[in-house]
Amino acid sequence: MAREQQIKLTVNGRSYEKTVPARLSLADFLRDHLHLTGTHLGCEHGVCGACTISMNGRSARSCLALAVQADGAEIVTIEGLRAEDGTRHPMQQLFLENFALQCGYCTPGFLITAIELLRDNPKPTEHEVREAISGNLCRCSGYQAIVDAILAASRLELA
Amino acid sequence: MSDARFVNQRMVGSSVIPDEAIPLVEGDGRFLNDIKLPGMYHVAFLRSQHAHARLIAVDASEARKLPGVIKVLTGQELLGKVDPFRSMPNRFSGGESIQHWLAVDKVRFCGEAICAVVAEDRATAEDAVDLIKVDYDPLPAVTDPRLGELDGAPLVHEACANNYLIKREYERGNVDEIFRDAHTVVKRKFKIGRKQALCLEGRGCVAGYRENTFTLTVWMSHQLPYVVRHYLAKHLRMAETDVRVIIPHTGGGFGQKASIYPEEFVCAHLALTLRRPVKWVEDRIENMVASTHARDQTIELELAADKDGHILAISSDIWVDVGAYSTYLWSAGMEPLQTAGLMPGPYRIGAMRYRTRGVATNKTPVGPYRAVGRPSASASLELLIDEMARKLKLDPVEVRLRNLISEEAMPYRSANNLVHDNVNYIPCLKLSVLKSDYDRQRAEQREALASGKLRGIGVACFAELTGLGTSTAVGPGTLLQPGRDAATLRLETSGVLTIAAALPSQGQRIMTAMRQVASDELGIKLEDITSITNDTATAPYGFGTFASRTAVFGSGAVIMAARELRKRLLAMAAFLLKVPVEDLTIVNSVIQTVDRSRSISLRDMAEKSYFSAKDIPQELNQGFEVTSFYDPKFGSFAAGAHVVVVDVDPKTGHVEIVRYVATEDVGTVINPAVVEGQIVGGIAQGIGEALLEELVYDDAGQPRTVTLADYLIPSALEIPRIELHHANTPSAALGGFKGCGEGSIIGALGAVACAISDALSRKGGDIHSFPATPERVLKGLGVLPGDA
Amino acid sequence: MKPAWFDYYAPHALDEALHLLGDAGHDGRVLAGGQSLMPMLNLRILSPAVIVDINRIEALNRLHAGADGLTVGALVRHADLLRSPDVREGWPLLWEATTQVAHMAIRNRGTVCGSVSHNDPSAEHPSVLVTMGGTVIVAGTAGHRELPAEAFFTGALSNALEPGEMVVELRYPRQPTGTGTAFVEFARRLGDFAIAGAAAMLTIRDGICERARLTVVGMGDGPLRLRAVEEMLTAHALGQKEAQDAFAEAAAMVVAAVDPTDDVHASAAYRRHLAGVMAAQALETALARAGGS
Ligand SMILES: Cc1cc2nc3c(=O)[nH]c(=O)nc-3n(C[C@H](O)[C@H](O)[C@H](O)COP(=O)(O)OP(=O)(O)OC[C@H]3O[C@@H](n4cnc5c(N)ncnc54)[C@H](O)[C@@H]3O)c2cc1C
Ligand code: FES
Ligand code: FES
Repeated sequence: MAREQQIKLTVNGRSYEKTVPARLSLADFLRDHLHLTGTHLGCEHGVCGACTISMNGRSARSCLALAVQADGAEIVTIEGLRAEDGTRHPMQQLFLENFALQCGYCTPGFLITAIELLRDNPKPTEHEVREAISGNLCRCSGYQAIVDAILAASRLELA
Repeated sequence: MSDARFVNQRMVGSSVIPDEAIPLVEGDGRFLNDIKLPGMYHVAFLRSQHAHARLIAVDASEARKLPGVIKVLTGQELLGKVDPFRSMPNRFSGGESIQHWLAVDKVRFCGEAICAVVAEDRATAEDAVDLIKVDYDPLPAVTDPRLGELDGAPLVHEACANNYLIKREYERGNVDEIFRDAHTVVKRKFKIGRKQALCLEGRGCVAGYRENTFTLTVWMSHQLPYVVRHYLAKHLRMAETDVRVIIPHTGGGFGQKASIYPEEFVCAHLALTLRRPVKWVEDRIENMVASTHARDQTIELELAADKDGHILAISSDIWVDVGAYSTYLWSAGMEPLQTAGLMPGPYRIGAMRYRTRGVATNKTPVGPYRAVGRPSASASLELLIDEMARKLKLDPVEVRLRNLISEEAMPYRSANNLVHDNVNYIPCLKLSVLKSDYDRQRAEQREALASGKLRGIGVACFAELTGLGTSTAVGPGTLLQPGRDAATLRLETSGVLTIAAALPSQGQRIMTAMRQVASDELGIKLEDITSITNDTATAPYGFGTFASRTAVFGSGAVIMAARELRKRLLAMAAFLLKVPVEDLTIVNSVIQTVDRSRSISLRDMAEKSYFSAKDIPQELNQGFEVTSFYDPKFGSFAAGAHVVVVDVDPKTGHVEIVRYVATEDVGTVINPAVVEGQIVGGIAQGIGEALLEELVYDDAGQPRTVTLADYLIPSALEIPRIELHHANTPSAALGGFKGCGEGSIIGALGAVACAISDALSRKGGDIHSFPATPERVLKGLGVLPGDA
Repeated sequence: MKPAWFDYYAPHALDEALHLLGDAGHDGRVLAGGQSLMPMLNLRILSPAVIVDINRIEALNRLHAGADGLTVGALVRHADLLRSPDVREGWPLLWEATTQVAHMAIRNRGTVCGSVSHNDPSAEHPSVLVTMGGTVIVAGTAGHRELPAEAFFTGALSNALEPGEMVVELRYPRQPTGTGTAFVEFARRLGDFAIAGAAAMLTIRDGICERARLTVVGMGDGPLRLRAVEEMLTAHALGQKEAQDAFAEAAAMVVAAVDPTDDVHASAAYRRHLAGVMAAQALETALARAGGS
């Protein structure tokens, strides 16, 4: 029992009930048990930010939470950003249009972080954007296109 | 002529939004770790805790008993069944290194794989790894490449005297005489630290047994699918037609995924012997110790100049710490030979000499990483040019203008025997100087200095040899002359075009680039063209993606194939429409007469020719599928000049980049936004090299930088806004394209290094060791004791 | 990089948690925000047999600013402090230090009590607690006890907790009027653990320093309070010229007092130098904020 537990949670609006090992990370749960592989693992020790998801409305590293801790939680992953009719979230659209991804491995974490930033601070300066995404590492882009995509989104008055 | 609406919109040169990015931005990418096969096992490796030790005994009995464990494989068990990696023959070899896939008898670096554990899931495999007991007999670790020259020094490989894996001496011109007679000689020792490509996704593979018709299917996070296929087959003693290699979405490559490593080959062996699919994806710790490192040079460089600052000759003595094994395929020659050989860069240097060595140590092997050798070579030369300029009281820009190879002097063969042609070195520098308002920057620097602030300005020019054809070896001294790649163009039954090539993308949008090129050649709408680049079962032969070659080769092959396909399409249409072929053109996926009186869509034509072929003469119906190979013969030089302004905090040693202006010549641009992304991304990595990134070992050969909290890559705050300009000139390659993947990292290291050096020199200090950590900066200023 | 097995419990009541911890003794670990513990589990640096997750104990989620001080319960996250106008207003040192802890996603989960318990030598919170003269409320099956901050920190990554005990609350007193504070640190990148940092708190009356507190971070042993500097500054006139000299002397005293070790990010010599620089900067800023020169 203590090594395994049943959990009930909502992911991208859908509820799930699963029995999981206690040592399973939330990231591995999303990826391996729910097949939501859009969340990526780049370090599994909290630094790279690729695994960032939204948990009860706040960004969190899914590699640094256990699946059992998500019992009762509301989770949103990159797969949950699209509207029901499949339309991309405006932030996704702007990432695409601004060439804000190259290999795309870091993208899930940046999208979640950027959306949270604009919710907290709808009109950030460029420096504020850079500061807000400084916990997410991207090895390909040099960040410029990502910053531009987020600034473009801030001009759209996303919320 | 027809009016604009009936002319194809030119795709090359337009920032087409890449469809291939859509799954990635929607979370539907399929990376290696996303692949799951029924019955798949998971692999974890037991890795050496010692830098250098004899393996006395490996006891896996407890591990084998653990529920969920399928197999524990040791190096002994592999002996005689598979062929280990012997270093590639290289003309400049010092001695051979043999790398077993799993260590046998001896381990030679911390992180070397000793056992592979196969289990039901990864966590269980790791549990089992913890249960294996290894009895090591530690040996003295070789951590300093220079000590190998001493008598009785410990050897990494018995076959490599003095631990030399590579050694080369070269001289062109009478260097001694030039130095003796020169007006000015400057000399300096530079150190460039050990680096990591740090792809955000680790490497790894899923090896499948009898998937489809192939005995072995390997999904691998790699840049060279056909090379992997060839060597897998060779080492596993199979026919390569039984092997299929598929490259899933790849989270960065940068050269680190262009080498062949033991772990994936072990997995292939396991899949074959267990008759089950197995997966191994390296975690970050493994990546830090078991995927190739890069750089790690000590460069003693000397420069002779006349009184006006014209460089007369350079001479260098280079030591590269290449780690424990000759990296498979590329050999240990990558950094040592390219650092030395490409030292002259974009400058007119008539005489040069070098002595360079790749020395084995008990550290992770060094392999290719973005711009191999050149950032270190270029930064050293740029720093020394500045020192010479200071001595002669010349401005750094002026002295560079006097030495860059001018357009009038081209084609110019430099002392390293490379020919420079169709490349805008001087225009790049002039534009960067103009756009950065260089003179005002200098004035502001003087004001800043007057008010107690420490500001520096760096200027660096570089040459990037891209798209190497058969005339130039990619791995100097090796047999590797990957000068040919193919593309297949096929008009499908519905009239859409498929482009197939073995040029996988790690985010460079190669598929989109080839679609853009094909669209222009064929008049087919972009949305009617798809591309597949990642599968040996569908792609024609190609060497893969590395060395800034893919745009050149892929586009060249596409152009050649498209020209042939176009002929066939027009001939068929001429027959069907009963008009002379000269009257026909293809516009927006429709073949029509120039006067637009007759037309047939590609869709209709494809359907007719594939499904109602009986009335079509055989000589016309050769199928709409063309494969062409392209070899640009020579490489093309891309170029750039960067101007950087930094502020140095004399109390903390912190360096902040306050202005960054870059001008590049990347030839004909296919997709400007993609090119900009490559350049800015390369600059960011170069800034990382200059300021942050360094892999550190202690004296016992223990790695001290094994997490992302220890090895620091830049975040969005360390990278300033990059102001990017172009001074492009087409290359001689088909389409005029050049590579653009590596140049900017060369310029960035040099320009940032020169800017810091410029700042420190205002206080009588300097710096010759990089990255310029705050501590080294303070040493350079004399605030802390020690050399910088 | 997957954790070893452990038994997991997520009690809803503090009592229950304390019993579980008491039973587990040395083999048990509290899981709060997980932002330090989870990396250690993933890397198998730690493999505790029992994990007691305190995140379901609502009673520990208490952030209260009262007349006598600020109460920070064991489930209060770094981000909660940053979102609290009361904290920003009344405990500016704590607020400023928290802005320098990690990044948003980590601050959303990591707890202040966790940071204090973990006592990373480069962490911000332990030094703030010491500088402000705060109190740690500890609970175990045997009951509660209160420890002054300085008694709680017993060296790098260690604290005064007995097996089976946990931190339930931190208390930060209100600062006297006329006080200025500053937390400054130097890290290679924003959000990284600091190489060196300093927390300063100066109470100034009529140009005279009535009370001084100075703590440095990153020197190897957890928060290091510099009493000799505090004594030197107390009753010192801190006009512009005097302050300049006094802070230069303070920096020199700091450099002489600290005894850091080498690591991959910095040599001992550099850390020592930086401690002086940070101390001087913190004192200067605190003085300016206290309305001094
Ligand atoms: C990338 C990254 C960067 C970071 N940067 C910084 C930084 O700059 N500065 C900084 O200070 N921190 C930093 N952190 C750590 C972060 O602040 C953590 O939140 C904090 O150190 C621990 O808090 P936690 O609640 O996450 O504790 P946990 O990770 O849950 O626990 C940490 C340790 O404290 C113990 N513990 C936790 N709560 C209690 C309690 N109430 N009673 C007794 N023991 C307890 C646990 O058993 C464990 O041993 C960083 C973390 C990451 C991943
Ligand atoms: S994988 Fe979670 S932060 Fe890197
Ligand atoms: S796009 Fe590759 S890591 Fe960000």
